Amino acid sequence: MFHFNILLGQIILFNWLILNPLIVYPQQKTTPPVDKHQPQNFFASKAMVVAAHPLAVKAGLKILRQGGNAIDAAVATAAALNAAEPFASGIGGGGFMVIYLAQEKKVTVINFRERAPAASSPTMFHQDGQVQEKWRRTHGLAVAVPGALAGWNYALKKYGRLSLREVFQEAITIAERGFAVSPTFSSINKDEYEKLLAMDGENSCYLQQGFPFEPGDIFRNPELAQTFRLLVEKGTKAFYQGEIGQKIIQAVQEKGGIMTAKDLASYQALELKPLWASYKDFEIWTIPPPGSGGLHIIQLLSIFEQLPLKKWGYLSPNYIHYFTEALRFIFVDRNLYLGDPEFIDVPLKKLVSKEYAQAIQRKIKPTKAAPSYSPVASGLLENPRDEDENTTHLCVVDEEGNIVSLTQSINHFFGSGIVPEGTGFLLNNHMDDFSRDPQSPNAPGPWRHPLSSMGPLIIFHQGQPFLVLGSPGGTRIFSSLTQIIFNIIEFGLELDEAIEAPRFFSYSVGGKARPLFVESRIPAVTLEKLRQWGHEITIREAYDKYFGGAQGILILPQRQGMYGGADSRRDGTGKGY
Amino acid sequence: MSYLKIKLLKLPVYFLLILGIALLSLDFVPVNQANPLQVEPNNLPQFSSPVLITSAGQSAEIQLAGVIAKRASLNAELVKMATAENLQGKKTLVLVLGASLKGLGAAGLDMNQEISRVSSLLQACQEKSIPVLCLHLGGEARRGELSDKIVASFLPLAQLALVVSSGNKDGFFTRICQENNIPLILIDRASEAIDYFQKIFLINLPQ
Repeated sequence: MFHFNILLGQIILFNWLILNPLIVYPQQKTTPPVDKHQPQNFFASKAMVVAAHPLAVKAGLKILRQGGNAIDAAVATAAALNAAEPFASGIGGGGFMVIYLAQEKKVTVINFRERAPAASSPTMFHQDGQVQEKWRRTHGLAVAVPGALAGWNYALKKYGRLSLREVFQEAITIAERGFAVSPTFSSINKDEYEKLLAMDGENSCYLQQGFPFEPGDIFRNPELAQTFRLLVEKGTKAFYQGEIGQKIIQAVQEKGGIMTAKDLASYQALELKPLWASYKDFEIWTIPPPGSGGLHIIQLLSIFEQLPLKKWGYLSPNYIHYFTEALRFIFVDRNLYLGDPEFIDVPLKKLVSKEYAQAIQRKIKPTKAAPSYSPVASGLLENPRDEDENTTHLCVVDEEGNIVSLTQSINHFFGSGIVPEGTGFLLNNHMDDFSRDPQSPNAPGPWRHPLSSMGPLIIFHQGQPFLVLGSPGGTRIFSSLTQIIFNIIEFGLELDEAIEAPRFFSYSVGGKARPLFVESRIPAVTLEKLRQWGHEITIREAYDKYFGGAQGILILPQRQGMYGGADSRRDGTGKGY
Repeated sequence: MSYLKIKLLKLPVYFLLILGIALLSLDFVPVNQANPLQVEPNNLPQFSSPVLITSAGQSAEIQLAGVIAKRASLNAELVKMATAENLQGKKTLVLVLGASLKGLGAAGLDMNQEISRVSSLLQACQEKSIPVLCLHLGGEARRGELSDKIVASFLPLAQLALVVSSGNKDGFFTRICQENNIPLILIDRASEAIDYFQKIFLINLPQ
């Protein structure tokens, strides 16, 4: 028997040693990828974090387990996203958060959107009568005064329990130890390669020996870890009035920008009264201007309140037609009325009224796209090819029922591409969110917040929190979020099914329709009908980041638990306990 | 233990040996047979410079090709939307495959216009006997309906293909190259193309 075992071992060894090098393993053959788009709801009974990167979710969850509340966990997640998803948001940018305090039954909004430097003017991007696109996007002039750190700090001090030191710990660890780059990270890194080369050079910390990161490569950012350490030691003053701030000003001015140390030192986050509206027996709490997403979501919901959505059906031609037309009318309002309410009068009451929504609804012709959406040619100078992808969203619910819905951004992926020397973080290009038209209510000017499309929100049903939701995606944000809300409330889809569902979007420029952009999963028969009704259709990828990367938490009645849903168009995930 | 028993016990052993060999011949095939088009490093086809680098689909990978050419010390001109006129004085066309709606939007093109531009360019290459080297550097992320349409349209006209292997997980490039008898080089990462460029274009760098 002993000899037999030896013989068997010899044969196995022979097979392994001699034949193994000759084998081509099946990886060179057809291996269909695992379908990451399969809807997946994450369940938790007490608390949950949903965000665009698993390490950021882990960071938030750790804080919740350590006794932090939803606000602490949201800031920890937001900071961790700076390390794990650095191309979408970070301390070089800004955003908004909606907070629900369960004990007080109070909803509040923190505005940490960037502001224009004091030397800004309505024609700052014009030269010889032409808009200089580069100045708006990849130039020192593109950088607005960052607000993220001030907003996080404000939220922590007023509504949190923990210190910056505690909530930044995971961000430091992620930046220092690094992580394997995902296909999403890699593809975005490649997409923005030209910008990184131009603005930060081949030695950029966001490139590996001058090339974009490939999936599986380890991305470490020790300089960002050091920046966070400095903030932990010296507080936000190091950023707004100290050595980090000096590096920001130097980097911006070297690239032709106008931001000064005084601009940076003057930045303050603001607490705002939330925008509120009803839809049937649901209540929507969201951000007011200078965020436009919340307002437009309310407008869209109100336009559809009296329409037979359920009868028309999910992804039906009627539904998509009415939605598309409503969006095009809304973009006219956006160009005519919206800007920073600190500096202009925004007719908010009129725009969110049910009467106004009904007036828009009456303008929509069944089965026919309108030839024009405005008698006034507003917004003619706006970018007709807004293809950029951007931003991130996170949601947190804690054991006490406190909630945070937070959207933050550095605008386009990899922002302006400017990295202040030795800091490891990217500066935003949010000045591009100002209008190109010097007469626009959203024209750049000293201290103005650029109009944002963000729309973080919390929906209540019968007085109880029901849905926490938000998304990146530029001007697609409010369209995508409203579609998700309809998918859940009207069409009965589960949360992640609603998030993964095919999306569409359109808008108008100067009162004229732009194409109807659709994910390729929308049925061909529906698209054919829409073409017959006069819509020009542009088919995009099946799951296209262009339409955002939504994250949400659906809270079951009587606190029976909650479901998280995270968008597979990016690397979204959720976890709870 | 009797002789017969030992013989019987050895039967599964022989079976395993035979099965192993059978598996190799049926499913797992030796490298040089699995991908007969995979080029051996010392048997690379040769191309000449100067080179025109352009995009088919306006993906950002054209910038990667530019940096690769620069680091390989290749005499190359990068023109994102090259036309036949740009071929003047060029001896090779490097075509970077991969569609990006963002890139197309920035260039003010739609897919049909882009396909038409590249088709005209390739026709000019055929008329002038300029060989075409196709690159796909975006990996798995630069696959999808639009990119696959670009690849299927233009890769068959190449004399050599250099592809980041994660984009070929489903054998898409292997299949097209086999059908059109195009040598295929699979690399793990874009930066590996520098070395291949130096070999393909016979660039001798100072030691």
